Amino acid sequence: MNFLVPAFLAGLAALAIPIAMHLRHREKGQPVRFPSLMFLEQLAIRTSKRQRITDWPLLALRALALALLVLAFARPFAVGNAAQQGAEAERAVVVLLDRSLSMGHADVWPAALDSARRIVRELGPNDRAALVLFDEDAEVAQPLTTDRTTLDALLAGATPGTRGTRYVSALRVARSVLLDAPSVPAEVVVITDLQRSGVAGLVGLELPARVTVRAVSVAATDRGNVSLAGVDVRRVADAERTRLAVQARVMARDLDAPRTVNARLEIDGRASGEQPVQLPVDGERLVSFEPVPLPAGRVRGRIVLDSDRLAADDTFHFALAGEDALPVVLLASDDAQRNETLFTERALVIGRAPTVRVTRTRPGALDASAVRDAGLVFVWDTPLSASETGALDAFVTAGGGAVVVVGRRLAEQGASVPLGVVTVDGTADRFADRGGSFGELRTDHPLFAAFRESPGALTGARFLRYARAVPTAGSDVLARFDDGLPAVLESRRGAGRVITLLAPLDTRTGDLPLQPAFLPLLRRLVLYGSGHEAAPLWQESGQTWALPRALREVVVTTPSGDLLRPAATDSLGAAVPLTERGIYAAYQGVVSGDPSLTVAVNAPATESDLTPVDARELLVGVAIAETDGTAAAGPGTEVEREKRQGWWRWLLGLAVLLLLAETLLANRGWRARAARLTVATGSPTGTEKALP
Amino acid sequence: MALAPTAFLDPALLARISDLELLARTVVDGFMAGVHRSARKGSSLDFAEHRAYQPGDDLRRVDWRLFARTDRYYVKQYEADTNVSVWFALDTSASMDFTTHAVTKFDYARFLVASLAWLSKGQGDRVGLVTMGDDLGEVIPPSARHLQRILHTLARTPASGRGQLLNTIERVAHVTTRAGVVVVVSDCYEPADRLGRAIDTLRARGHDVIVFHPIDPGERELTFAAPLTIEDAESGLRLPLRPDELRAQYRDAFAAHRAALTARLAAARADYVPLDTAEPLDRALHAYLDLRAMRHPGR
Repeated sequence: MNFLVPAFLAGLAALAIPIAMHLRHREKGQPVRFPSLMFLEQLAIRTSKRQRITDWPLLALRALALALLVLAFARPFAVGNAAQQGAEAERAVVVLLDRSLSMGHADVWPAALDSARRIVRELGPNDRAALVLFDEDAEVAQPLTTDRTTLDALLAGATPGTRGTRYVSALRVARSVLLDAPSVPAEVVVITDLQRSGVAGLVGLELPARVTVRAVSVAATDRGNVSLAGVDVRRVADAERTRLAVQARVMARDLDAPRTVNARLEIDGRASGEQPVQLPVDGERLVSFEPVPLPAGRVRGRIVLDSDRLAADDTFHFALAGEDALPVVLLASDDAQRNETLFTERALVIGRAPTVRVTRTRPGALDASAVRDAGLVFVWDTPLSASETGALDAFVTAGGGAVVVVGRRLAEQGASVPLGVVTVDGTADRFADRGGSFGELRTDHPLFAAFRESPGALTGARFLRYARAVPTAGSDVLARFDDGLPAVLESRRGAGRVITLLAPLDTRTGDLPLQPAFLPLLRRLVLYGSGHEAAPLWQESGQTWALPRALREVVVTTPSGDLLRPAATDSLGAAVPLTERGIYAAYQGVVSGDPSLTVAVNAPATESDLTPVDARELLVGVAIAETDGTAAAGPGTEVEREKRQGWWRWLLGLAVLLLLAETLLANRGWRARAARLTVATGSPTGTEKALP
Repeated sequence: MALAPTAFLDPALLARISDLELLARTVVDGFMAGVHRSARKGSSLDFAEHRAYQPGDDLRRVDWRLFARTDRYYVKQYEADTNVSVWFALDTSASMDFTTHAVTKFDYARFLVASLAWLSKGQGDRVGLVTMGDDLGEVIPPSARHLQRILHTLARTPASGRGQLLNTIERVAHVTTRAGVVVVVSDCYEPADRLGRAIDTLRARGHDVIVFHPIDPGERELTFAAPLTIEDAESGLRLPLRPDELRAQYRDAFAAHRAALTARLAAARADYVPLDTAEPLDRALHAYLDLRAMRHPGR
């Protein structure tokens, strides 16, 4: 016998209510008026008698009905055949074996396997055991079984992985595994190095009360570890060539003594440098390699440290796109003097990853070839011919970006604005009020998101003259001047986007270029307008690599040499789970030549920290549930479950019958007469009173 | 079906009659029909007035000459017949408002007072009324013309408040200036000795006193069966109790109180008449007429 909702059993405390009512029955009942207590007060009436329960049959009836109601709500169920099987098996043991990257420590993994095998050996003849391998996720290697041979074979084939640690996922899986053995004592044994980083998320996890959790620590006694925490790669251009400067961060933890390790750099598989690193007991050192010539195409590199007892984090991979540059075509008329576009040109080329390469083109020279390699076209206050407009339109529609600056030329000449995002109707002179400013900024837009915390950096700029523009349908106003006129607009065109600036970017009619916000604004304008996203140097194992939708028939090679053909499952394109350390490469069609994309994958940095947590801390925050929940009733068909759980209907029916009986009993005999006793109300003719 | 005359004295039947005058007439007529001879024996040479003949009147006192003129029976009233003042002192405390059957003690008492007043008036007495609650309430001095006023007062007086029976009886003694008959109707919830002392003050004024004590059967027997909480009708005090366990002791205490009242009021030379409110009124009327006959034989 067990209960689905044992919390309702607390309702049995309500039995005190009828008892208290019976004890205090007279005090709470309707008093009967009596002419005088003159004689009664002379009689010895013991108080104890007054508080004695006088109507035991009625009390018993009421208490029994209440108890049955409580039991019905607690949903009792019979332990069925499946549960009886569980009862015959004395215990259910779930072995949670940590296979995170840190378990690859030379001393740890063998000890973990030994512990697991010992647990399997010590199982009783009727015990059942399951094996769950976990890192950040958990995988049921073997559900509950009595077959020791299978368990041993699975342990022999298990290896540490490349991912981080997350205990909560393992315990959740263990809980679900134990649903196959309801109502039997269960034990969850976590064999782990107890990394502190894996404890997150345990708070709030509920385990059944019958389950005990035991942690078997296999943490290494020598926790000294040297790891690579990250790299920084820069292209350094000198007079002759572009070189690659690589810098690595080497982390030392819990070393016995300071030591020196060698760090070797490999670029595209070739040794490209070696540096000794003096490491403290605990701390970080930067190691810089001599710049090496930048190979053509995409670069695959790695840094290798002298191996220690945890070898997995001694190698660090990185991947670099061939050339991370963003070509920008600046289309400006000849009469746009250099000093008019000076601030913008200089601001564009500042910054790297990507570096912006500006090519200035005069009107009439814009054609498809001029924009073939461009990421963005900057149209500086100049009208375009029909052919130029067609070329620019095709460029944007294909995914390029365009920034159209509308200044005095377009405004005063009444020329049509390129790409037609707005129509211009003269200029607004703000000399009288010493210039206007931005009045409304959409800081939720990616273009201005960087200014969300400090919009004053932009609203401080003054504009003396700007074009009066009327947005056309389909354009989105991102910013307005303080007089309500549009200042910045965005319009989608095919796969690309057009940003129209009414705010002057020169110093003759405004001071925006002199504001500190000018540089980040222009940088964001270029990156957002072109849709450029910087490729990371590396990702951590366990993450997902999202492939761009533009790639067709993608074939991905994994670090171990396997080929994957990820299928696009949604509009965002295909995604590849990164499970191995090393370089993943994506090709279009066939695996040959230079890959279209590469990504480097390294071990999670948290796995390099071998500091263990106290085994007891592992369960801090884990709640003990009263029951396994609805599944606690055990497996079986719906009909069987219903049969085992259907007692509540009988209990409820019986409670109703008892309540009916109580109603009849309470309204028969002297109880009924007592119930009809009423208090007389004085009246001239007297009031009929109750007949005792 | 014709009802026996005494049937009109049944309290349950009387409770259906809202008009006290009609009730009193019904009671007295019914009662007198069963009395073959008028208890009134007094006579005088000082003619006062005529009044209508009532059954029981001495036929010798019928004015035959007036009968010859009017064809109706009248008897002669003499001054000596009307100079007995009868005070009805009615206890109106809340304890009187109790019953376990048809009529409350207070209703029974009102029927009794109304009937006795009607009877007294019919016999030529002057009747007055005093209501006794926490103080003297209505005081209607005795007069041959105050019967209607008495009946009206009885009809509109409720039983309420805490009774101060001893004080009010003593005050009645002060109010009454002329010796007569004082009829006390009360449930006598006072110690017998103290009540006797209060009656003594009435007796000291020369009054003949008769105490009617209406008793409800439930009050006497403590007939409640279920455990319950009872509340004092006057003080509001509550007492939880199990009547089964206390009934015998309570009966003994109540009987002892009655015995004490009987003894103490006898000592005060007052008549004490306990009345069961479930019984007809005739016993009370007999007792009253007996008293009148014994104490005022010439009137």
